Amino acid sequence: MNFPNYNVMNVKLKKWVGFLAPQKTTIFLLSVVFFFVSAPAEVFAQKRFSKSYPASKNVRLQLTNRTGTVTVEGWDKSEVQISAYMEAPAANMQPQSLSGTIYINLVKDNQGRGEVGNVNFTIRVPFDSSVDIETRMGNLNVSNVRGGLVRAHISSEGDIVLTNIFASAVSAENVIGDIFFDGDIQREGNYRFTSTRGNINVRIPFTSSFRLVATAPSTRSISLGSLANSGLRFVSEGRRVIGQIGDGSATLTVTNQRGSISFIRR
Amino acid sequence: MNCEECQQLISVYLDNELEKESSIQVQKHLAVCAACAKVCQDFAMILDFCLLDETADFVPPNSKALWCRINNIIETEIKPEIAQENTEEQIKKGRLSKVWGNRWQLSFSQVLTSVLGIALVSCLLTVVAVKNYSADNDNFTANAAPTILEKVLGKIGLKTTPEQVRENRIKEQQATIEYWNKRTAARRADWDKNLREAFDRNLNEIDQVVFEYNKILQENPQDELTDEMLDSALNEKVELLREFSEL
Repeated sequence: MNFPNYNVMNVKLKKWVGFLAPQKTTIFLLSVVFFFVSAPAEVFAQKRFSKSYPASKNVRLQLTNRTGTVTVEGWDKSEVQISAYMEAPAANMQPQSLSGTIYINLVKDNQGRGEVGNVNFTIRVPFDSSVDIETRMGNLNVSNVRGGLVRAHISSEGDIVLTNIFASAVSAENVIGDIFFDGDIQREGNYRFTSTRGNINVRIPFTSSFRLVATAPSTRSISLGSLANSGLRFVSEGRRVIGQIGDGSATLTVTNQRGSISFIRR
Repeated sequence: MNCEECQQLISVYLDNELEKESSIQVQKHLAVCAACAKVCQDFAMILDFCLLDETADFVPPNSKALWCRINNIIETEIKPEIAQENTEEQIKKGRLSKVWGNRWQLSFSQVLTSVLGIALVSCLLTVVAVKNYSADNDNFTANAAPTILEKVLGKIGLKTTPEQVRENRIKEQQATIEYWNKRTAARRADWDKNLREAFDRNLNEIDQVVFEYNKILQENPQDELTDEMLDSALNEKVELLREFSEL
């Protein structure tokens, strides 16, 4: 077998290095320039959108996102502050404020566009606002809101977290993902949590008055916690729990097609 | 002008009520058409006859006697019919008076049997009513089997059974799904890979749920809870397709 002559190769290599030595700085500079030219596709393409609207206390926020995370927080100011980070390709966004309602509809604003990057919102609204948010895919978080309505709808997958909610009408629905509700049950309120696969956790004061229909047909996993001794009963071979707590003025409907349901004392 | 048109106008023409142009046309046609001219002549004769004041010739010599004869003939034909009607009414009245007018003469055992029969029927009706009422109140029972009456009515097509209602509803939902499916299929090529994968994953999840419920319903068609869940899952599928078709 013939092996290569390494001595000859070393000499050739040294010659090449010697030839390149004066150009080291140039190559380094070129690579830095190349890095900054190519990097913006990932780093600098993320646009930021920021806008504030003066608002009355019972303002309504109606947001329809395509993909991305939406976080809505209640605050003690008469102002709606919208911050959005738009990943490339950046979405078009034209918020509108009409008669006490702030509309943001990224589905409508970007209809027919092929690829649109995620848009991650952080929105602050007055405590007494009504919040109606939906997204085709992504997580939805709402906290510290006590207006008339809180609706969080995910067309496909994503988690929904509603904390410190004191609204009289609450609705949360997704297909795949968890739902967590932590709030109060108002008299004559209507609360609806629906998922196809995920875990639904409802944290409420057990002194609330409501009429409950909780259904988990596939798993039959309905954990009542301290509510177990409150006159609720399992029906349909354990697939559903029904009953009334207190005067039952509010309605609480929880449906999880292929997941579990848990009630936690608040 | 043809013969038919001409003959339609002849009467008006003879009354001199036709417009001048039409009248000239009729005259021209009558001049060349012998048949219409004959018709016109006949019409004219009838009109002339009617205009003659000769009704006095037709008054019968003894009109009073004539009227008497006519009257007698009418009376002899009508009287037997009236008499027959009266007899039938009397027969009907007689039968009713027999039923209502007769006194009920029942023995003690007959009365007792009747009372017991009425009591038994009342009890049965009450039991059925209470049973139906309690079934209606419990909305959450899983298996509400149709009553025998409902089954019979369903078989003869007088009442739609819950299965038929479900079948119709599912057909409608499938048609809606088909519609949105087409629209989504037309748009999905434009979506990015992540969105496509998420959509497929979620659709698949719902399809699995629908498959499971259909299987349960095949084994137990009266399972109302599964029926309700199937309805909900199909509606979710429609929503998913509709909302993604907007992208």
